[in-house]
Amino acid sequence: MHLIGSFRLAIFLVVIAQVAGADDCVDFNRQIRPLLTSRCVACHGPDENERMADLRLDISSGASQDLGGYAAIIPGQADASELIRRITTEENDELMPPPDKGERFSADEVDLMRRWIDEGAKYETHWAYVKPTKGSLPVVQDADWPANEVDQFLLARLESAGLQPSPPADRRTLARRISLDLTGLPPTPQQVDAFVADRYPLAYERFVDATMNAVAFGQHWARIWLDLARYADSSGYPSDQPREIWGYRDWVINALNRNLPFDQFTIEQLAGDLLESPTQEQLIATAFHRNTMTQNEGGTSDEEFRVAAVVDRANTTMAVWLGTTMACAQCHTHKFDPITQQEYFQFFAILNQSADADRKDEAPLLELYSPEQHKQRSGVQAELDKFAVVPDEPADSANDEQHIAALQKKLAAIKPVSVPIMRELPSKERRTTKIQRRGNWQDLGDEVQPGVPAAIGGSASVNDDESRAMDRLALSNWLVGNENPLAARVVVNRLWEAVFGVGIVRTSEDFGTQGEPPFHPELLDWLAVDLVEHDWDTKRLLRQIVTSQAYRQVSTSTSELNELDPDNRLVARGPRSRPTGELLRDQALFVSGLLCDDVGGPPVRPMSPNLGLKTAFGGSNDWTTSEGKDRYRRSIYTEVRRNSPYASFTTFDAPNRETCTIRRDRTNTPLQAFVTLNDPVFVEANQAMARRLCAELPAATAQPRIEYAFQLCVSRDPYDNELKTLAKLYDETAAMLAGDPQSAIELATDPLGPLPPDASAVELAAWTVVANVIMNLDEYLMRQ
Amino acid sequence: MIPSRQQQQLVSTTRRHFLGAAGGFSLGAIALNSLLADNAAANLIPASGGNALTHWQPRAKRVIYLHMSGGPPNLDLFDYKQELVNRDGQDCPDSVLKGRRFAFTSGVPKLMGTPRTFNRHGEAGMWMSDAVPNFHRIADDICVVRSMHTDQFNHAPAELLLFTGHARQGRPSLGSWVTYGLGTENENLPSYVVLISSGTQPSGGQGCWGSGFIPSVHQGVQCRSQGDPVLFVSDPKGMSRELRRKSLDALQSLNQVQADQFLHSETATRIAQYELAYRMQTSVPEVMDISREQAAVLDEYGAKPGEASFANNCLLARRLVEQGVRFVQLFDWGWDFHGTGPKEDIRGGLTTKMAATDKPVAALILDLKRRGLLDDTLVVWGGEFGRTPFREGRTAASKVLGRDHFPDCFTLFMAGGGVKAGFDYGKTDDLGFAITESPVHIHDLQATILHQLGFDHERLTYQFQGRNYRLTDVHGSVIKDLIA
Repeated sequence: MHLIGSFRLAIFLVVIAQVAGADDCVDFNRQIRPLLTSRCVACHGPDENERMADLRLDISSGASQDLGGYAAIIPGQADASELIRRITTEENDELMPPPDKGERFSADEVDLMRRWIDEGAKYETHWAYVKPTKGSLPVVQDADWPANEVDQFLLARLESAGLQPSPPADRRTLARRISLDLTGLPPTPQQVDAFVADRYPLAYERFVDATMNAVAFGQHWARIWLDLARYADSSGYPSDQPREIWGYRDWVINALNRNLPFDQFTIEQLAGDLLESPTQEQLIATAFHRNTMTQNEGGTSDEEFRVAAVVDRANTTMAVWLGTTMACAQCHTHKFDPITQQEYFQFFAILNQSADADRKDEAPLLELYSPEQHKQRSGVQAELDKFAVVPDEPADSANDEQHIAALQKKLAAIKPVSVPIMRELPSKERRTTKIQRRGNWQDLGDEVQPGVPAAIGGSASVNDDESRAMDRLALSNWLVGNENPLAARVVVNRLWEAVFGVGIVRTSEDFGTQGEPPFHPELLDWLAVDLVEHDWDTKRLLRQIVTSQAYRQVSTSTSELNELDPDNRLVARGPRSRPTGELLRDQALFVSGLLCDDVGGPPVRPMSPNLGLKTAFGGSNDWTTSEGKDRYRRSIYTEVRRNSPYASFTTFDAPNRETCTIRRDRTNTPLQAFVTLNDPVFVEANQAMARRLCAELPAATAQPRIEYAFQLCVSRDPYDNELKTLAKLYDETAAMLAGDPQSAIELATDPLGPLPPDASAVELAAWTVVANVIMNLDEYLMRQ
Repeated sequence: MIPSRQQQQLVSTTRRHFLGAAGGFSLGAIALNSLLADNAAANLIPASGGNALTHWQPRAKRVIYLHMSGGPPNLDLFDYKQELVNRDGQDCPDSVLKGRRFAFTSGVPKLMGTPRTFNRHGEAGMWMSDAVPNFHRIADDICVVRSMHTDQFNHAPAELLLFTGHARQGRPSLGSWVTYGLGTENENLPSYVVLISSGTQPSGGQGCWGSGFIPSVHQGVQCRSQGDPVLFVSDPKGMSRELRRKSLDALQSLNQVQADQFLHSETATRIAQYELAYRMQTSVPEVMDISREQAAVLDEYGAKPGEASFANNCLLARRLVEQGVRFVQLFDWGWDFHGTGPKEDIRGGLTTKMAATDKPVAALILDLKRRGLLDDTLVVWGGEFGRTPFREGRTAASKVLGRDHFPDCFTLFMAGGGVKAGFDYGKTDDLGFAITESPVHIHDLQATILHQLGFDHERLTYQFQGRNYRLTDVHGSVIKDLIA
């Protein structure tokens, strides 16, 4: 807060504004629209029911309409414009906005409004509703620096702000950064060494490609999509019953790993069932919208909650593909963005024809066998077939019958897994959709036909085949089609946010007029168009971002940058941010050698604290830890229960997956310190690390073990002071524990299990304490 | 400045300053910042003793909310209806059933007078039944609202409406709004604590104490009566405090090198948070340890160290507010008196349930009063809706007497925090089907609670997805008559 008053920041902002404005004319979208939106439009905007004095200021025709000899805005004549008089008057009952409704225009803001009117009061379409175009690349002074177009845009901006990029990070840092960003796991010391030793050109690019092609890539990136898809292994609401839908989770991981183009990724999830002869995989993809909650509490209305699910689908679709918040328009015409309540329900109508209806059994379901089960089944079937071809031999027939019966029983025992999917209702059962007044499902108004909002490119031409009503397939084609200005920008912004911590549009959940305009508008549009030109290849986009020089800079900040650009939006240094709770758990399991890299299948249950509580009308919130290595699977496979989400993930800001989450918070709290210091899951990893250090370096002194721990955890060797501090900690801890064997045994074995043969409890306990410190280093908990 | 940027600033600021101290800012400063940002209100005044800014001088600085999850039977506890007793067993009149839907009752149910004995209590002459003998003792301390109503007749939506102002998941809870507005009084404890008894979490789930789109530092911290009171607050087994201190010193010195080298404020914050965590490892178990109370106090509440009872939680609530926790939210399961089993019978079942709960509530209010805490601590007791004046349809043929969910009228009481004591408010009709005087909607209750804490419910807002959200959505009026 003290930064804002800073003189230097003021200069810096002026520099930025000049860059953005390009010439001296007032920029409507950047400078005027935010003022109109925050001060005027709630009462003088698109919502007819709320409109005061029959005046609209969100559109040119409304603002300049004749009000009886005068007008709010007379283009070219600020002094004659009623608006200027009303925002500057000293008469309280005439002042706009009224003192109880909003903040008064400051002198600077009044001046801006005057200049804008004098320059002709030109309105422009909101930036996000104009189709992106690929502008020419900006000229940079240091032509040697950029590695690709991303750098070209960023460097031009930095240069005009009078700033220099930071030097490139060393390879060890980059190896860890890339590996965490692309796979959610740190690199092994061997991978780091090989990369450091690679003296051939394009070593970095090769490392990126290898990392991007690992199975772990999909396991890591699926998390973002599953937040959006509100994926959970339970149905939500009070009873929160288990839901079998993990086939969808595996579909997402596979789709990301095989780099399914984003347009196809979209169409299959929203309308896979409507494709011509859809494959099993395309049907599973439609579970995207079956992740809505199902209400099983006694005495509730299925129709009420079916409608609630469709509302959620409409809002989620808008949020995920259009970066647009529609929830406002469910109850009334949007006060700021040009979406009417009628348009909301037209959109709702598209999604209102699916066969699911808040049923307890989650029908309709797709039943399928896993590859393993397929193998088992064909094995049994082959045996059965043998009996069919061998002619009956009377002596053995009783025996055979028994055998056949046993085989048939075996076959039946292989139960398929199921996935709830989307299915369209047959034409005679189709629902009519009516406007729900004030969002009340029982208070219905006029009937509406399916459609998409006009302001964001929707029109009658959405569907080429006019004989067919607008359905989910037409919707998904439109979402990734040429008429929609938003989807590609939203995708680019989402990847940018994942890599740099903050999106080019900071408000990634809102690209509308209330959201923040893009910080690098030309770059955003360039990347968006480029993405579409390259067939929605998202891995390629991600590669463009991470192979930029900007990404490869050191993340070290300076006091100057901390003051000027604390969130690093200019990217004058490399990215640095705290990863998710899921990643931190995976990392702990990985570096300690506990991680089980099995892929896919039903959700698993790692160790979790018992709360001794049941969920209302449902089962226990506590679970029995999975057997064997399943407790060490990657976090993406941890069972997600909406009423009792996995505690340590929640502490690191994981959502409970009840509704679509566009962006997680990144808090920094003492409760998080408790997790990485004391949670038995993490302590177990400390213990495993201690055993690993002692087993792999059996005769070693403290120094090589500390060095190895550093290589495993932070991909580098320790500095002298670090070595000294930790060696001292080891010695003192070992000395303390030597006199307290019981504590030593607990520290070394609870919860990991009995000591290995011939191991020293004191030695392992002391290394557990050292590992606990290394695995709480800021550097280890951050991605930098 | 663009509002969303302010919001972002708030988020990033909050990220760095959970529970205050770190980095020289406090949550109070954040509360101030957010209020100013959202409202540009020049009429905010500092709350005495705290670090928050409020819209006016608050009458309450903290809240203890006692929620009886399931819907206590108002007609068998507070709202005495002689006429209903007179017409016991008669068909329910058409006029009250027409066009209505009930959760578990269809057809024409039978009216059911209360089997309980009612009398007037206290100087106020407040009607209460024999099911709540200990409430008789606090009749002159409480403010009873007999005219509560809600929009929802299923548990989960009704609880979400009550605690978040909205019947669906995703909005910030009452306690989150309060800590967002008021900040913290004790940096070594969470400012919003949730305690659950009777073995089941409320139907509304964690959404009842979630922070919705407000930064997650404002969500309720569920404290447990068994095991670690706060998750993972205990050091690993075998690690002494001395060893923890020693290893933490090593960690902090290494992190300090990192902070100096990389100049990221988040590293400095992490160092501070680890120190705060270390202090909490002492302060949390201390405040949660009721064995430190005198035997007489334990007896008064009916609390027994080591149990996970409602009585223990009431005593913990007092210990927590005494230490400066802003909002203590208790949930007790088992108030859904349908009559589907003996525990849900409004005769024996209700007697048993109340015996375990009315004594600690009375003890809590009297204890707060003795310690001078009741003046600025608001206590609320209630459920998410009421119960029908007729017998529940499914159980009408059984021996057990139960009632269905009823959103149109129910009873709730408050104490302390600047509300009137010994005060009766609102009336329902002779059969208990409709409010006849002074209705209080859930949003009105929320507006009134915020009012007592110093906030105008229309101006305590948070901007999200382009809209200023508030606890009371677009509804709610402060019920001035309840305020002393």
